[in-house]
Amino acid sequence: MTLMVLLLLTLALVPIAVVVHRALGRDTGFFAAVALTGIGVATLPWLSTLIDGGVFEEHLPWIPTIDVGLSLRLDGLGMVFLLLILFIGALVMAYSARYFSVKKKTSDYYLWMLMFVFAMSGMVIADDLILLFVFWEFTTLCSFFLINRSGDKAAAPAQRTLLITAAGGLGLLTAVLLIIVETGTTRMSEALSHTAWQDNTTFTSVVAVLIAFAAFTKSAQFPFHLWLPDAMVAPAPVSAYLHAAAMVKAGIYLLLRFSPVFADSTLWQVLLISCGLTTALMGALFAMQRHDIKEIMAYSTVSQLGFLVAVIGIGTPTALVAATIHVIAHALFKSALFMMVGIIEHEAHSRDIRRLNGLSKTMRVSLVVTVISSLSMAGVPPLLGFVSKEHLLAGFLSADMPAALTWTLTCMAVLAAIGTFAYCGRIVLGAFTGYTGAGAKDEFHEPIDPATPHEAPASFYLPALLPAAAGLVLGFIPFVFDGLLTRAGEDAQTGTYAAEFALWHGFNTELLLSAVIVGGGLLAVALRARLDDLIPRRILPFTGVEAVESMRLGVINFGRRVGDITRTDMHGVHLAAPGILLAGVFIAGMVVAPEVGEFDPGNTRMTDWVLIALLVCFLAGTVIAENRAAAVVLAGGAGFVVAAWYFALGAVDVGMTQLLVEILTVVVLVLVLRKLPKRFHAVTRTRRAVSIAVALAFGVMAFAATFALTGRRGQTPVAEWYLENTYEETGALNVVNSILVDFRALDTFGELTVLGVAGFAILALLNSSFATSDNEPPASRQWSGTPLDHPGDNTTAMRSVFNWMAPFIVLLSLILLLRGHYESGGGFIAALVAGGFFALRYLVAPSDTSVKLRFDYAMVIVGGIIVGAATGLAGYLEGSFLRPVVIAEGLPMPWGSDAGFSLTTALIFDVGIYLAVIGAVLVALDRLGQAQRYPAELLKAHRRAHGTSESDFSTVKVPAGYHADPGDLPFEVQADESWPGVLPENDPRGVNDR
Amino acid sequence: MSIAIAVGLLTAAAVYLFMQRGMVRIVLGFVLASHAANLMLFAAGNTAFRGVPYVGSGEVGEQADPLPQAFVLTAIVIAFSITMFMVTLAITTTTDDDTEDVEVSPARLLAADRGDTKDAGFFGLTTESGDIVVEHGEDETGEPWPEKIPGPVTPAETQEGDAR
Repeated sequence: MTLMVLLLLTLALVPIAVVVHRALGRDTGFFAAVALTGIGVATLPWLSTLIDGGVFEEHLPWIPTIDVGLSLRLDGLGMVFLLLILFIGALVMAYSARYFSVKKKTSDYYLWMLMFVFAMSGMVIADDLILLFVFWEFTTLCSFFLINRSGDKAAAPAQRTLLITAAGGLGLLTAVLLIIVETGTTRMSEALSHTAWQDNTTFTSVVAVLIAFAAFTKSAQFPFHLWLPDAMVAPAPVSAYLHAAAMVKAGIYLLLRFSPVFADSTLWQVLLISCGLTTALMGALFAMQRHDIKEIMAYSTVSQLGFLVAVIGIGTPTALVAATIHVIAHALFKSALFMMVGIIEHEAHSRDIRRLNGLSKTMRVSLVVTVISSLSMAGVPPLLGFVSKEHLLAGFLSADMPAALTWTLTCMAVLAAIGTFAYCGRIVLGAFTGYTGAGAKDEFHEPIDPATPHEAPASFYLPALLPAAAGLVLGFIPFVFDGLLTRAGEDAQTGTYAAEFALWHGFNTELLLSAVIVGGGLLAVALRARLDDLIPRRILPFTGVEAVESMRLGVINFGRRVGDITRTDMHGVHLAAPGILLAGVFIAGMVVAPEVGEFDPGNTRMTDWVLIALLVCFLAGTVIAENRAAAVVLAGGAGFVVAAWYFALGAVDVGMTQLLVEILTVVVLVLVLRKLPKRFHAVTRTRRAVSIAVALAFGVMAFAATFALTGRRGQTPVAEWYLENTYEETGALNVVNSILVDFRALDTFGELTVLGVAGFAILALLNSSFATSDNEPPASRQWSGTPLDHPGDNTTAMRSVFNWMAPFIVLLSLILLLRGHYESGGGFIAALVAGGFFALRYLVAPSDTSVKLRFDYAMVIVGGIIVGAATGLAGYLEGSFLRPVVIAEGLPMPWGSDAGFSLTTALIFDVGIYLAVIGAVLVALDRLGQAQRYPAELLKAHRRAHGTSESDFSTVKVPAGYHADPGDLPFEVQADESWPGVLPENDPRGVNDR
Repeated sequence: MSIAIAVGLLTAAAVYLFMQRGMVRIVLGFVLASHAANLMLFAAGNTAFRGVPYVGSGEVGEQADPLPQAFVLTAIVIAFSITMFMVTLAITTTTDDDTEDVEVSPARLLAADRGDTKDAGFFGLTTESGDIVVEHGEDETGEPWPEKIPGPVTPAETQEGDAR
């Protein structure tokens, strides 16, 4: 087996377990346990190589351009954690199979747990810094989902956990990026042996703080400890895994992994030792305050992790080896204890030591398991916990510091260890005897009847029994770890150190301290009643959870305040922020480059001034106009001036496009205007004054920017290149069209898609929401009965002209499309001409219903985009997407170069453009031009709200052959007199023919 | 120079229209702003060269830059489609295109018609604050939501919106 296979297997287990879960239900746990044990056993052969000092390395490229790869590396340190992850994982899985009831939904539980195993395994064998970060974050997410899925109350703790640990993740990311930049490699093994760590102390210190921050959040160190007890809402197996082998151990792993480079960093030592010891003492104190055994356990984990962090901070070889053996010992006793919590909870239906009573009589096996594990945690011989605690003490004593400081630290550690002993007693006595742990100030809880709980089945407690028994057996033979932990210790430091574990080290200082711990602990247990009265239940006026919660809400509120600035319907206010930004850029520009040179000669010509004069007239009119129609027409006039300017600038194609678009825009706007009031809304005089001032300011800025930044560098190299090479490259004469369909076809394709999206957005909006009704001014009624009231007759002349012109317009459109490569034209212009045809058809019709399109024009857009995409794919024949392919050359056509008309896929692409633009124009004309097609229900509601009763139109009969369109009004409504312009198609009367 | 003046004029007119009430004015402002942006693109291509940029239609040294022309050509069409979309927004309301009016929402109208005043859509949906006000409850901050229970929509109320 290779490392890659190991990783793949753990990953593959996730989907397999999901499938297996369909057949086995909760028993999937047994399957997963067997699978994980199998993987774990398969890794054991690596041990001999590792103990001999070898490492396994594998590499698979991932993002080669930035040198990030799936680099895996397994050394002694990684192996210790890997074994814990796999074997403790297997135990927890087996335990889960009986912990959850058959009815409980467990498929997602197994999914996330196995994902967790994968993430943790990946993390401890990752040798790429980016990969390490990815797996690190992955564990954060897995724990979030595991906590979050545990019932209604779990959401808030899960979010807090995520916030705290993800913040740490950002710290790790920053550290990782700093390391990559400084050392120039993403390989962790190379980066950690780089000389930069010694040469650049600032870098080392910054990274030390960041790594410590990341690890502290993950390993629940003060002041980030609170998420761990908070996460107690998760079920017992999740806690068992989180506390024993996963999540919190990830932080310890990170500290050990980076320990070698910070060996000389005092900052690192101070941080780790102070926070670690604070956490150890605080955790022990909090554990003494609580009554929920799970909470006591959680604080005990916090406390034990504090020990580990502090001893890693000491950083001597003895200390680091002590840390690794304590990691193992802790994993064994803590997994057993958490599983016992689950069993007690199951059998006694309570976790409160004030209620738990007399379980020692009925739950014998549980008692034994709990006692063994607790003794191991308390550091009582002959258990593995004793061996590891001895080493921890030796580690503290080995500190490379003045004797007084060493002893101070050691004494604090001893004090925390006495606390450990005391809360172990609290757990055992509280859970299994009548001891309540309640002081004078605690409220009283009715103890449960000792007869009701009974022992759990063997299949339930066996997974807990195994690690507890292992802790007992290994206590006698701790030397089995010598080889592996020597290597693990060496991986975590720069020096070498041969670990020698033994139950009996002879009479020495550590043994004396152990005796003090046991003695002190026994005393604390004996005086437990007095301690319960003495220890305050609350120390600070607020809890950590409350503090984090208020911070979280503070952030949300702050975001809301920020949002309030623009939470208004006055769009001018929304534009304030970008406006201020632009003004800032403008001022900066004025400061930096107050001098601009002379324009190129010919930049401004006489005709320009004529155009400016016209533009001023039209713009002034648009701005002043209070009548909607007037404003629309005047704005259209301004558009024509701009179009004329384009022609003056030599942009024939652009000018034509502008002209056509302007016509269509005005047509559609006029069609829409009849649904709106005649005049604009009035605004206050102050607002008008402010608007004028702001508008002038922006006008001046836009002028100054254009004035200062353009027109002084001659012809651009790009322009020259296009003008000189277009013919050779594409065979086209019209360079602008060639840029659109040959050189920058991908851009154009994107623009087609935007057109299509806009078209469909219009459709969606009109099909789903209410719209204003036609606004028929009373004045229009005065024409009733006069010849003006006969739209059919009045449009006869125009219709005749249209009938003659229509074929020519269509022909012109097709010609423009075909000749695009050689003369003015192309898909855009041709489509707009065709759009003009439809607009004209619309204008000459006596009523809007008589020109209603009976085909699905939205599909025309889709067709255009599909044609464009297909042409793009055909480009792969020549090597890349949208590359034009020549189909035929030298065709006899009226247009073309000297070599004749050549048909390329660029022309087909132009057809795609043609279709998409036509489709968008049709959507706008047809849907905005028609009388409203309301969602029927809304219409009825609207009519009722306006006082017309529904019965007025409920009796109309639908004539035979009436063809209903999905977007149409209900027929009843169409027949109603008060709704002009919505008569059935076969009705000869026009809008106002009544 | 001249084109810079045109850009300035168009921008000023556009900004002025943006700051008025009513969607149609905003749409017109948007159209004018797009003209300004397009002319600025032309200016970037240097308007000292004004020959038609076709192969063989003149000296290369006098022809205009074809690249901004291609950009502007597509920009015009895109601006057209966005204009159409904004126009659609102007008419998908219950009364008119006023952007600063607290209007009767269609959902509320519908709920009133059904006599279904307990419908969530009936409450709130005021365009002023942008949030939906429900009968009672709490938001994330733990502050209770405003106890604003609007009465059923009467024809009079709706017509008041019309009158505005």
